[in-house]
Formats: sequence, structure tokens, C-alpha cells
Amino acid sequence: MFARIVCAAALLAAAPLTRTPAAEAAPQRIVSLNLCVDQLLLQLVPPERIASITWLSRSEGDPELLPLAQRLPVNHGSAEEVLASHPDLVIAGRFTTSATRRLLQKAGVPLLEIDPATDWEGIRRTTREIAAAVQAGARGEELIAAMDADLALLRSRPAHAPVRAIGWGGAADDVPGRDTLFNTILETAGAINLGARATGPASFDIEQVLRVQPQVLLRGAAYAAAPAMRNQIAAHPALRQQHYSVITYPEAVYGCAVPRAAALAVQLADELDRLRQKP
Amino acid sequence: MKRHTRLVLVLSLLLLLLAALSLVTGRGGQWLALPSDEAEARLLRLILWELRLPRLVLALLVGAALGLSGAVLQGLTRNPLAEPGLLGVSSGAALGAVIAIYTGLGFAWSLSIPLLGLAGAFGATALTLALGGGGGVLVLILAGAAVSALMLAGTALVLNLAPNPYAAYEITQWMMGSLTDRSWHEVLLAAPFVAAGVVLLLSTGRALDALGLGELQAASLGVDLARLRRRVLLGTALAVGAATAVTGAIGFIGLLAPHLVRARVGHEPGRVLWPAALCGALLLLASDLATRVLPVQPELKLGVLTALVGAPFFLWLVWRMKRVAP
Amino acid sequence: MSLLAASGLCVERAGRRILDDITLAADAGEFIAVIGPNGAGKSTLLRLLAGLQNPDRGSVTLDGQPLSGYDLRKLAGRRAFLPQGARCEWPIAVERLVGLGLTPSLPAMGDFTADDRARIDAAIDVCDLRAQRAQPVTTLSGGELARAMLARALVGDPQVLMVDEPLAGLDPRHTQQAARRLQELAAGQGKLVIATVHDLTIALRRATRVWALKDGRLLADGPVGEVMNPALLRELFDVEASVSGTGARAYVDF
Repeated sequence: MFARIVCAAALLAAAPLTRTPAAEAAPQRIVSLNLCVDQLLLQLVPPERIASITWLSRSEGDPELLPLAQRLPVNHGSAEEVLASHPDLVIAGRFTTSATRRLLQKAGVPLLEIDPATDWEGIRRTTREIAAAVQAGARGEELIAAMDADLALLRSRPAHAPVRAIGWGGAADDVPGRDTLFNTILETAGAINLGARATGPASFDIEQVLRVQPQVLLRGAAYAAAPAMRNQIAAHPALRQQHYSVITYPEAVYGCAVPRAAALAVQLADELDRLRQKP
Repeated sequence: MKRHTRLVLVLSLLLLLLAALSLVTGRGGQWLALPSDEAEARLLRLILWELRLPRLVLALLVGAALGLSGAVLQGLTRNPLAEPGLLGVSSGAALGAVIAIYTGLGFAWSLSIPLLGLAGAFGATALTLALGGGGGVLVLILAGAAVSALMLAGTALVLNLAPNPYAAYEITQWMMGSLTDRSWHEVLLAAPFVAAGVVLLLSTGRALDALGLGELQAASLGVDLARLRRRVLLGTALAVGAATAVTGAIGFIGLLAPHLVRARVGHEPGRVLWPAALCGALLLLASDLATRVLPVQPELKLGVLTALVGAPFFLWLVWRMKRVAP
Repeated sequence: MSLLAASGLCVERAGRRILDDITLAADAGEFIAVIGPNGAGKSTLLRLLAGLQNPDRGSVTLDGQPLSGYDLRKLAGRRAFLPQGARCEWPIAVERLVGLGLTPSLPAMGDFTADDRARIDAAIDVCDLRAQRAQPVTTLSGGELARAMLARALVGDPQVLMVDEPLAGLDPRHTQQAARRLQELAAGQGKLVIATVHDLTIALRRATRVWALKDGRLLADGPVGEVMNPALLRELFDVEASVSGTGARAYVDF
């Protein structure tokens, strides 16, 4: 227990904080400016300690966390909203605007910016970082333990030939490539990411999708309720004729480096198993 | 007369050549290799029939529609700077199509996309011609710019209010214009309207010739000016509106194509029509091929390429007009 | 019955009477000069007689049939009209310009027939344009362009020719040429020629009749010899004028 506190303190000192929060009092009014941080926060701390989360959490994210998320106040990322909720800790992703940063500095509010992680080790690191900042280190370790259990479960399953898969939502969409969490989840679940041949964003047209000969198309389901052209993915006759299996995945959280990503990998592995068993 | 038929023949041959090339070229300049087994042959047939052939047909239809309407508009306004984009047709069609897509209407009833695109094109053209029709070329171009701005404002509003955050990205991508991944569905949707518009536009040749003498002389030669304007309006809205509704906004083809052929047919507006249609198809097909062959990642959009080539040409035209005018 | 007749023509714009109760008639073989000060309404009158503008009151008839009921193309075949400063926007060849005069009788598509070409050749010959036939019209001189426009008006063999200021901007030689052609068309070919002119000496020498307009009203309508006298000219133009000489040597002096 003592070792844990020392570790937490050490991590605290090493973490890229722009302002060191008071190490004694745990933050009671935490504001999150990032959907993925929202998800983690909801699992780490009781709702009374959360001042606001992003508006996206009300419709996107882990379905189990939605009811909780919908009860909390939301912000739209503007500095004004943030300050109005009198936070004592703000957690954001790397792409906070410098205006917001400066304003928070002036107001004396501690800001923690998180680097997005793309693999399991990175998730462990980020989770510990945030857990330390909100002083919920024990809970953080619980989540990481659950993640490790899921990963062990997947490793213990009988190995099959990897399923050829590609994350494709239409010619306008970027296909997730090599250095993404999507890739990690896919490979852990026992699939090959056919989009990983390229570094950086790549767009595939239907012809190229046909050429890589996938077995499964992974279709992102963010904001699926509102109309968009990407929701028409399977409508093209060329794709219909090929009878690819289409798996819908919760796109927003496939980008979130949180311990629950392992559970998503297990879910995906289950779906891939079901597909394997179909004639 | 002989010059005219020779030009049409040359253009048609070039078109056939490019069409063949278009069928064998894929993204990144991939050529179609001969299939080595049954599975590959099946894939090849699929690609050719469901992807490359509808793309080719659409390129021909849209290119011809754009080239022809540009020629007709230049004949009607007696000015070589006119093109459907300048008169707000394309942005009107884009607004209509975007409204159909983002209200979800487009998915409930797929015909609504070209129909709303047509409505938008029609509204924009009518507004431009009403505003600037009789006031000389400068007024017409200004009216077109004003109407375009209005249409773009409307599109920005839809973007702003669309419930799906991907909407903004998708609309901007779509508006850059593309033929990628179009299927026979899009062809069947657009073709009847484009065909109707093309027929209407081709029928204005004789009247446009007479109009070169000015409105009074044309009227004295029996040209019904009001009826001519209606035919041009309707034909342009049908052809360009439907085309834009399935491909997004592709500009400058309507400006370029008539220019490239006008001198070769002796400058008569009526004789420019067929060659401009063929030249427009040729230009669009060549541009589409270029977007597939150029090693640009992500894919270079068709409308972007035509703008990159067309805008400098437009600048050169203006410069030359300035030089020639008194 | 006159070939062309107008009765009670009135045109009003912004409260001003452009034309006020004009009644006149004209027959084949006449060369009518329409004279009057600037702003008298001459161009408007010509447009009304050509059927290119509708009067607010009154009517124009061709062969007894009102113009408002005439089929546009049939009318186009019977009368030709040239506006002031007639020009062509596109640099087409002269022979193509002349060919445009055949528009009323041409089908919607297709090029000229051999018959059409013969008529174009004839018109080009009449107007002395053989040397320029392949030249772009935008490179023609003022006189050549005027001849080309006239050829385009004549190629369809109209019964009536209405020309607004056919002599404007022409040098003396071309002025004489043009006036002589108009006279020939009326006297020699029996057409009705109506032209607005500012050169009164030409009107005196070549025309058979004169319509004098001032402030939208018809001041005089009669044979040229009667109408062209100093009293009328003074009333019309507010200048002292004298008419001297006879026939081809007659002239008006200010």
C-alpha cells in the first residue's frame, strides 16, 4: 500500500503536468474535455467529484456508462464553460487550444494533457497517470487488472487463422492504419488489419477494397442515428455481390485508450468466432 | 462544313481512346492484369462492370452536360466568360443535394437527391437570370456570384446544423467533386435528366447563332427570345443540376470546353455545341484518369483538379480580354 | 390597301409621350426617309413598324393583317430590320453572317443547302463583298460592315426593309454607295424601304417620300419635293435652311 503511494507520487512528479495540483486534497470538481477521458473518469471516481464531461458522452461511448453519463453536466469544450464550473482539475487530450491553456493558467486551474496511447502498455501508463491525478490509484489498478484478465483470456483461446479485416466506411473515410488503437484491438482479437500496410491516413476506394480481398468489413457506428453518407457503405452493388460480412463497431471508443478497450477486443473476438462458424 | 465534321470525328476518336484507357486504369495507375484463375477473373469482371464502366458512362454524361451548357450560356450571354458555375447552377444543385442527404430524405427516397439537386439548380439559375439577364455581361456575372454566395451560405447552414459531426467533413469532400465509387444506380438516377437537358440545349443552336447579332436583330429574324431563355434555363438546370447532384461540384469544364473548340468551328455559337459537348466529355474523362494515375495520397478530388487547371485558364482569359478590349 | 399601315400609334415612357398618335401608310416601291431631331422618336417608330416593340395604343398592319397576330418566322421572312450600329459579337466569316439572314427559313439543325448558298452568293455580289467573304466580320471597316449587314438583311429577299441610321459613320463614298443601293432596292426591285437619316441632302436626292417627326408627333408626311422646304425644316430643326438645286444635284444648306 505504502509502495503504491510512493509510486503514485513518483508518477505524479514525472507526469507532464503544466501545474502541480495540491498533493494533499483530492480534486473534487474535475472537468474532462475529452470523450475518452470521460469514459475513464466515470469508472475511476464517484459522480459527485465530476463537474462536467463532454457532450459527446451523452450519446457515444460504452453503453454501460451511458446512463451515468447522461445524468452529469456537460460542456462543449469552450473555455468559458470550463471556468464557469469552477474546476480544480481539468483533463484534456493533446489538442487543447492554446487560448484555453492560457486562460486556465491565468485562472490558476491545473490542466493535465494526455497523450493518446495506441497499445496495451500505453493504456496502462495513461490510466495510471490519470488515476494518480484524481487520486484514485487503487481503482485505477483494479481497472488495469480487469484489462489484463481479458487479455489473458484472449491469449488462452485456441489460435485460428487470422481473419482478414479492414475498417472501411466509404471512400471519404480514412482507413485506420498501423499505429492506431484500432489496429491493436484488431490484432489482439485475432484479425489482420488490411489497412495497416500504409502509415498515416489512407483512403480506399471500392476497387482497392475489392483488391485486398477482406473477409470482414468493420463499419464505424458513431452517430449512426443521424443521416450521413457513410452509413450507406454496403449499398454499392460491387460490395453487395461480394457478400462480405459487416461488423459494426463503436467507433468512438475504439479510439479511446482506456482499459475497457480489452473488453472490446474480447467482444470483437467473439463476433469473429461466430463468423468463422457460419457456413 | 468540312472543318466541322473533321473536328467532331477527331474528338470522337480521342474519346474512344480515353474511354478504353479509363477502363483499364485503376487507382495509383494500376493496370488491369490478365486474370490467372477463375476467382481473379470474377473479380475483374466485377470491377469492370460495377465500378469502371458506370464511372466511364457518368464521366461522359457529366462532361458532355457541362461542356454543352457552357457553350450555350456563352452563346446566350455573348460572352466567353460564362459557364454554369458562374451563374450559380452548380452551387444551387449542391445545396439541393446536400439538403436531401442531410435531412435523411435522400436515404428514404433515393430519387430525391437528383430531384432536389435539380430544384436547387433551377432556382439558382432563374434567380441569376432574373437579376442580371438584361443588364449586360458584367451585371450577369455579378448576379451569378451573388446567387452562388447565397447558395453557399445555405450549404454552410446545413453543415452547421447537421446532427452528425461527420457531416461537415463529408459535405466538403463531396463538394470537391468526384466520380469515385459511383455505380449504375447513380447513372440511372442522373441519365434521364441529363439526357433531357442535353436535348433541350442542343435545340437552341439556330437561335444562338441569330442572337450573335444582338437581341433586336435576332427578334427580327424570328427568334422568340423569351422562349429561348426558358429553354436555356430549363436545359441547363436539368443537365447540370442532375450531374452535380450525383458527382458534386465540378467547375471550369463548361468554361474551358467551348473555348478549345470555338476557333475551329468559325466562332458560330450554334456550331460550337456538339464539339463542346464532346470536348467536355474528353476533358472530364482525362481529368478523372489523372486523379487515378497521379501519385497523390489521399485521392485527389476531380473538382480540385479541374479547378487547378481551369482557374489559371480563367485568369488568362480575363487578361487576354483586357488586352483586346478598347 | 397599303402594304404597311399604322394607325394611332402611342408610346409612353415614364409619363413622357415618345410617340403621339402616329398614323401613316406606305407602299411597295417607296423609299421613305424618316427625318427629325434627336429624341424625336424615329428609332421607336421603326421598331414599332417592324413589330419588335408593341405600342401602348394603336396598331400596325402588314398587308392588312395586324403585326401582333403575325407568326414570328413568317414576319421575319417578309420584312428585314437593321438597328442602329448593327454589329456581330462573334468573329464569324462574312458569308456566315450573310447566311444568318436566312434563319427564318432554316430548319432547326443542319447546314445550308445549295439553294441557300446561291442566295448568299447573290446577296454578297449585290453588296460588293466578294473579296471579303471569308474575312471575320470583326476585322471589317465601317463601310464593309454596313454592306455586310445589308447583305444579311437582303439575302432572304424581304418585301420590306427597315434600316435605322444606315449611313451613320460612313465616309462620303460609302454614304453615296449605300444611299444609291437603298434607292435601287425601292425603285428597281419594288421593295418598301424605310430608313432614318440625318443627312438631308441624301434624303432629298434619293428618297421618294419623307416622314418628319418631332417630339413624337408626325409633322409632315408626303413626297420629298413637297415636304423638304425651308419652313418645315425650320420648324423641325430650329435652324435656317435653304433647299436648292433639282433632282440629283439638289442639296440642303444650313
